[in-house]
Amino acid sequence: MQIGVLVSFAVLSALLVVLFVVAAAASGAELPADEVRARGYWLRKRWLALLAAAAPVLIGLGILLAPFPSGSGADRTEISVVSGQFFFQLDPATVPAGTRARFVLTSRDVNHGMGLYGPDGVLKGSVQAMPGYENRLDVTLEQPGTYRLLCFEYCGLGHHVMEGRLEVTG
Amino acid sequence: MATEAATVFHPTAPALADARSEQALVGWLYGVTAVAVVGLMGLAGLALRLSQADILQLSPGWFYRLMTLHGAGMLTGTLVAMMGALWYVLRPTVPLRVERMLTAWGAIAAGAALVILSTLAGGFATGWTFLYPLPFLSVGAWDEWATVLFLAGLLLVGVGFLLFCVDVLAAVVAKYVRLSRALGIAYLRGRDDDPPPPAVIAGTVVAIDGLLALTVGTTIVVAELGRTFDSGVTLDALWAKNLTYFFGHSLANLIIYLAAGAIYVLLPRYAGRPWPTTKPIVVGWLATLLFVATAYSHHLYMDFVQPNWAGYVSLGASVAASIPVAVVTAYTGLMLVWGSSYRWTLASTLLYLGFLGWLIGGVGAVIDSLIPLNFRFHNTLWVVAHFHTYMLMGVVVWAVAFVAFLVERSGGRTASQARTWLGVGAMVVGGFGLVAMWYVSGALGLPRRYAVQPVGTEGYSVAGAVFALVFAAGFLLVVLELGLLARRAYRARLTGAGAADEEAELPEPADPGPGDVPLATLPQVVVALGLGAVALVALIPPINDAVADEVRWHHVQHALVFVVGVLLGLVLGSAPDAARRVGAHLPGVSLGLVVLAPAVLMLLMVPGVYGDLEDDGALHLAYHLAVIALGVLTGLGAARLGRVTGRIVALLAVAMPLLYAAGVTGG
Repeated sequence: MQIGVLVSFAVLSALLVVLFVVAAAASGAELPADEVRARGYWLRKRWLALLAAAAPVLIGLGILLAPFPSGSGADRTEISVVSGQFFFQLDPATVPAGTRARFVLTSRDVNHGMGLYGPDGVLKGSVQAMPGYENRLDVTLEQPGTYRLLCFEYCGLGHHVMEGRLEVTG
Repeated sequence: MATEAATVFHPTAPALADARSEQALVGWLYGVTAVAVVGLMGLAGLALRLSQADILQLSPGWFYRLMTLHGAGMLTGTLVAMMGALWYVLRPTVPLRVERMLTAWGAIAAGAALVILSTLAGGFATGWTFLYPLPFLSVGAWDEWATVLFLAGLLLVGVGFLLFCVDVLAAVVAKYVRLSRALGIAYLRGRDDDPPPPAVIAGTVVAIDGLLALTVGTTIVVAELGRTFDSGVTLDALWAKNLTYFFGHSLANLIIYLAAGAIYVLLPRYAGRPWPTTKPIVVGWLATLLFVATAYSHHLYMDFVQPNWAGYVSLGASVAASIPVAVVTAYTGLMLVWGSSYRWTLASTLLYLGFLGWLIGGVGAVIDSLIPLNFRFHNTLWVVAHFHTYMLMGVVVWAVAFVAFLVERSGGRTASQARTWLGVGAMVVGGFGLVAMWYVSGALGLPRRYAVQPVGTEGYSVAGAVFALVFAAGFLLVVLELGLLARRAYRARLTGAGAADEEAELPEPADPGPGDVPLATLPQVVVALGLGAVALVALIPPINDAVADEVRWHHVQHALVFVVGVLLGLVLGSAPDAARRVGAHLPGVSLGLVVLAPAVLMLLMVPGVYGDLEDDGALHLAYHLAVIALGVLTGLGAARLGRVTGRIVALLAVAMPLLYAAGVTGG
């Protein structure tokens, strides 16, 4: 998914670059200001309509697809993750493939984060760990193999070495 | 060779009214300071990238302290640049006070010095976000004095920005009488035929949102400062994170909006067309006023203990915030340039290119603000990519553009075309190349703020480092060119051959009159006294009973006592005789009172300070009298800032201890 987002972003950025090159090229001419304004305002109404239509769609999709945990989690296997400077402690640390997991994260000291990477090295998602609070994250662990956990919130000089592992058996 | 030119602007550009010496002083002081700070902090950033690429060897201790300095320093440098630019363009229109701007510069410079000392000498390395409780759990990397210096440094920078915001607010109200008129609302409703120019509307929005951000920022910084001398104090981590990001997010946004305000005045000088106030501009800025204050919670999307509704509000605000940019400011900027026979100089080229960085970075930010995508991009290098796109390729480019504007204007000649092409070209290729490597790394899921990049990803760091070097070379070339032009301009001026400044008529600042007070009528005084009575009679007694069970109620009690003091101060300060006397005897002190008194109060609210006093009845009474006295001083100070500014400042002053009470326990 991330690569698709990157490509879409690159296309939009390229369109903006083209627009700026065209506008710079058009800047050399001397057109009547009233004429430019009349055409510009005509186009701007359509541009506004397009964005005004796109925004609710994006917001709606953002709400519908939000990965916030729902339900009591009774039908899920709870994996407790205690984070600290600079470690992750998982219980259990091994689960079978296909487990519908509910990660329950907290921190013993400062803010941390848990970036969860699948056996294929792709980031599946992340959630923050905060002292005094428990954050819950629902994920289905389908691929067997070793899942890596990297810290996703700067937590001190050992931030980059903070790592955990979750074994998902086949 | 620099190009000889009769004028550096478009032949039909709006007339200049910016030649007053105080205006030039502020412009040059802020512009040159900003470019120097941005350049030095850029070097720190370059060192980080070279270290990640394994070209330079930095220990984690040095990497993270430089990262902290780079973040805090770049925000400060760009803030200084855009405060200076907006002040410069607003001064001909509204009665801003040069002494406040010079004091603000001094406060920011002192704050920056403390931050440098804290990081480089003290090893302070929490990142600029100083996210609680990391400043107090350094695992031996830095001592508490470094934390104190860093927080004190941030406070001083905040004081500088606060002086600016209060001054802008007071000046626009002095000129346009009512806030609704300064914001263009009266024009929107058809009740004002002569609306303020767009830069004034932008400045008013920034001042209001800036004061909100500073209220929240001061609360969290002072709360953490209190923790340094009472280790028993506990801050709620979720509360602390909310406050930190409200402050940080708003500040970063406002830097861009400060720039937008300045561009409304600068760009027309090269396009030869005016940038008038229109209804879409007013609507866009009113929307921005709301969105800046409501979008910050996207920084807490992945803290699932944050209420979901906060995430949804932030999602809506973050997406909607892009519409005024895309439809009003950037769009109109392009429209202004289109077919205008645009005068391409170093300054105008950079002004134009800054829009591109702002828009591309904005697209990257909107993507990151969509909750399902944030799940995969949160705290990856994608975040670093998008904020560097609009901060480096937008705001930093505009900061250099502002100085180039000053230099080209002052010398009456434009920069060399060849060096402009070469320098700006290198900045564009290097800058966009640098951020492109971060976008790719972010899409691959690489986490941010890693001193050592994950194995197998070094190539992106190496490529990023090369692009960063190219950008640095371009930046240096442009700065050198500006230095040469500035020297020529200075010499020409000494011999009387340069562009002579003409003294323009500027609006004169004046203190608010005796009638311009927060409580101007008898009913207003009665309402204020009534609120104080309600606090004393109805609220404080039950809170006194609850104090034994929960320390937070103790803090609420102190905050309410302070509120009573502020109301009393407002009533006293609004009385005509008192207003005249306080105004006559305490010139300039009023602003100091409203800045210092609430901060001192929050430090007094640290349990380690008041805890021992509670056993002694007389000391306990003296403590509460001191709290009331601080409130009275705040109220008196606010009263001297006039009806609108005084009310806003008083409201925000009482918000701070109440906010503090919500999140601080222990002791």
